[in-house]
Amino acid sequence: MASDAADSPFFQKQRQEDAIVVTDPPKFDLEPYISNYEGYTRLDRLHHIGSHSTYLAADAYRAAIAEARQGQNVQLLLTLQEEFAQIAPGDPAANIDTAWAEEKTRKVRAELDKLEHELKSYKNNLIKESIRMGNEDLGHFFCACGDWSAAHKAYMRMREHCTSNKHLADMTLRLVYTTIAQKMWLGVQSHLAKVDGAQRKGDEKTKREPIVSACTGLAHLGNGDFRDAAMAFIYTSPAFLTVEPAAGITWQKEVLTGNDIAVYGGLCALASMDRTELQVQVLGNNDFRNFLELEPHIRRAINLFCNSKYSACLEVLEGYRNDYLLDVYLSNHVASIYGRIRTKSIVQYFIPFSCVTLDEMATKFQLTGEFATIEDELETMINNGTLDARIDLVDRLLISPPTNPRYTVHADALSMAERYDHTLRLRLTRLNMLAAGFEIKQDKGGFRESTSSLSESIGASFRGMGQRMGFN
Amino acid sequence: MAAELLTILLGFQPDAPELQQRREYDKAAREFVLHISNISNNHYLKGAGAAEDVLNVLDPTANSIAYAVTLRVRIASAIDRKNHEQLRPGNSLWNKLVLFLESFDPVQMRYAGSEWRKLIEYIEQIARAMGTPALAIAPIRSAMIRLDPTTGTFTSVHLRFIQLCMETRSYAAAVPILDDYIHSLPSAIPPAARDNLEYSVACADTATSGEFIHTKSGHSEKVALVDVIEYYVLGAMAYLGVRQFKHAHELLEHVLIIPAAGVANGLMLEAYKKWVLVSCLVNKSYNSIPRTANGQAVKQIRAAAKAYEALADAFSQLNNLPKLRAQVAAGTDIWIEDGNAGLVDELVEHQHRSYVSRLSRTFSAIPVSNIASNVGSSVDELTTFLEALIRDGFLNARLERNDKPEVGAVLRFYLDPTQGPLAKTEKQQQQALFEQTERTNTLAGQVKDADYRLSISKEYVEYVKRQAKKASGQGGNAADPMDAPWDDAEIEEDIMGDLR
Repeated sequence: MASDAADSPFFQKQRQEDAIVVTDPPKFDLEPYISNYEGYTRLDRLHHIGSHSTYLAADAYRAAIAEARQGQNVQLLLTLQEEFAQIAPGDPAANIDTAWAEEKTRKVRAELDKLEHELKSYKNNLIKESIRMGNEDLGHFFCACGDWSAAHKAYMRMREHCTSNKHLADMTLRLVYTTIAQKMWLGVQSHLAKVDGAQRKGDEKTKREPIVSACTGLAHLGNGDFRDAAMAFIYTSPAFLTVEPAAGITWQKEVLTGNDIAVYGGLCALASMDRTELQVQVLGNNDFRNFLELEPHIRRAINLFCNSKYSACLEVLEGYRNDYLLDVYLSNHVASIYGRIRTKSIVQYFIPFSCVTLDEMATKFQLTGEFATIEDELETMINNGTLDARIDLVDRLLISPPTNPRYTVHADALSMAERYDHTLRLRLTRLNMLAAGFEIKQDKGGFRESTSSLSESIGASFRGMGQRMGFN
Repeated sequence: MAAELLTILLGFQPDAPELQQRREYDKAAREFVLHISNISNNHYLKGAGAAEDVLNVLDPTANSIAYAVTLRVRIASAIDRKNHEQLRPGNSLWNKLVLFLESFDPVQMRYAGSEWRKLIEYIEQIARAMGTPALAIAPIRSAMIRLDPTTGTFTSVHLRFIQLCMETRSYAAAVPILDDYIHSLPSAIPPAARDNLEYSVACADTATSGEFIHTKSGHSEKVALVDVIEYYVLGAMAYLGVRQFKHAHELLEHVLIIPAAGVANGLMLEAYKKWVLVSCLVNKSYNSIPRTANGQAVKQIRAAAKAYEALADAFSQLNNLPKLRAQVAAGTDIWIEDGNAGLVDELVEHQHRSYVSRLSRTFSAIPVSNIASNVGSSVDELTTFLEALIRDGFLNARLERNDKPEVGAVLRFYLDPTQGPLAKTEKQQQQALFEQTERTNTLAGQVKDADYRLSISKEYVEYVKRQAKKASGQGGNAADPMDAPWDDAEIEEDIMGDLR
């Protein structure tokens, strides 16, 4: 089954477009995994898994199609069915149900008309609260249809009709939700900043803070700012796991679960922090411990890294690479996060040594397939400045270069003095020219004229010479 | 008559006891110059060639002014009368001219600037007319150095000299002059600050060349901006000719920072093109244009020199050697047309060198065969190439033979900068630092001179006057507003002062 899917036209196309395709089975089971999620993200995740894992493709697509049938997002259902038809043409779920789709579209259309009509009548009545609710209903409706930008617009229109802070905060959270669904991370960040700014004290604050902090982490992760993401995730309060739905959204189910926070936060921290920071801020962090307990292998990896057992740490992470590739938010960043952890491990590993054999390095750090040999990888790291070392290809050694601070200081001083000296000379030349009233002016001849002036003047001095001397 | 002339010409004796005071000397010298320039030319021409000829009696070192005037008149008449035999190098007048230019008294020549300049022009003209322009280079150079040991005040002679050197391809001959930084341009010094001041007379021992070479002293024709730029560009080319790329780079930067009102000129474009290439040779990149350059002008020249920037980008990609070759081949016409083909070839060669020298940041030892397979040349060729690099001081490394036959020759870099052929001892470094200190102090002196020249310029004096007026005006107004003695016209001038 798996091999059939791998050779299907759909995955061949994915490969051609350089998309990630995972052929090995992941460690998780689809059924329990996906049951943690609800709402839009459930579909999105199923779609992601289906389109990236050859092993789970059929199951994921079947589940997704069944799910989509319940909802109002006709377009998504059609896309799903079309893609699934390329993977398993004979499957009954893949049959495009045109009649159903038309019927559904008509219903959706009617619903939209109704809502718009209602909104219009509210507007005529000039009752703020009604207009707000009308817009909100419209926003919810667009969310259900998967038309995120329209939903975003509808929620935005609520702003001027919000009468209480709670309304305003709910609206902003709704906006956060729609931007996350569109994966527009910069927009997410700006909306989150507004939530943060509008927040009141007390009950409201404790309720919203974990959500804001988790979403901030997600936005940073989406932007590739691993360090900021790590900081946001590890300081997310464990209350997130139990927080009540805010703005009608169950965040820990509809956006990201506690397990996700543990995985995202742990990986980002591994990628961006050094050992002491990891020890103090991640392992010693009471808030984050609650999350880490959900994903013990992440905890183990961080522990191993802190205890300088880099190869074991990498091994653990490597075992879960497929899982993370199938995570909708993590998938694009896995390679870069893993790469960073690996380089950091190599750098940390090499610090106490003055000299290590290349073979030892190769056994400690198994190649990941990115580079042909360990030499190549080390060479790249040295060239881009992450590792301060030299390679001896003859005796196959990695050598830490000797330092001579006294010599370096002298050499630096000299080159700096020369640079300043030269800069000063340039300034003085300019000053002299200004004092003499020299300046290149606009009207005094264009490019053409002055380019030839050099050769002309030399030529003129040649020509003039003979005549003046009377030798011709 | 000849005897009479001789008495007049010998009338000025710089060693005379009554001229020991600098002010006296200054006065006497200026009067003497004025006096003898009024004597008609015929007097000088009498007795030429005879035993008691004025030129034989006068000593070029002691009576430099008189000698210079006589010589100038003689040469002018020889040219007029088409009496070329005397002028031919090796013959009497030529020899006298060369002797004079190499031995005149520099202090006296400060007063006879135009004579000095004309004699230099003559020697150049004669040498050119005889078809041996190179002969004039050495006398001109020694004349320049004798007059002003720093040769740092720009004169029209500088430009003529470098043009001559470029025409005759005697690049090395130009280097001693080019090495001296142009610290002053001839400026208009008001006579009040020039004459009759004890410590700033032209003959003072402390006088710097910026003080006695000015717009009225006659040492230089009127200098225009184009002349200065041309000097810098030609100078840079001369440095390129002797492969002193760092100096060429510095000289070209002088062109790039020229004050510009939002426009560039062609010489600047030329300079920029060369600068991009030379920067690659010196720094391996080209992106730090001096900050004082005019942004608008730089934008213009950059737009016109895209091909060169593409070349530099290709050069910086050391892992992609064929790309540079492709770029070079694509733009062959451009390089040839701009006269930069040689420099471009140098760039290609230099990329190999940079590639190898960059290996030292990654490897401590690498078999030559590995490099060869990366570069795509044979091991033997590469070995010779590497040997040359080590010999010429590009690499702090050694080539060694390995015991293992399959490895072959190995390039081993010295990791410690105090070892290997390029190592510098602490003493050498200290010496270099001392030299730099010396240079910086000289420069500080030159800055002070420039500052002084600015402070006596007409514009600055007026500005100070206005400032003083404004300051006292404000104070006065606060104290007694009714007592303000200024009328409307002068308040207007104050407004102008604000705009400055």
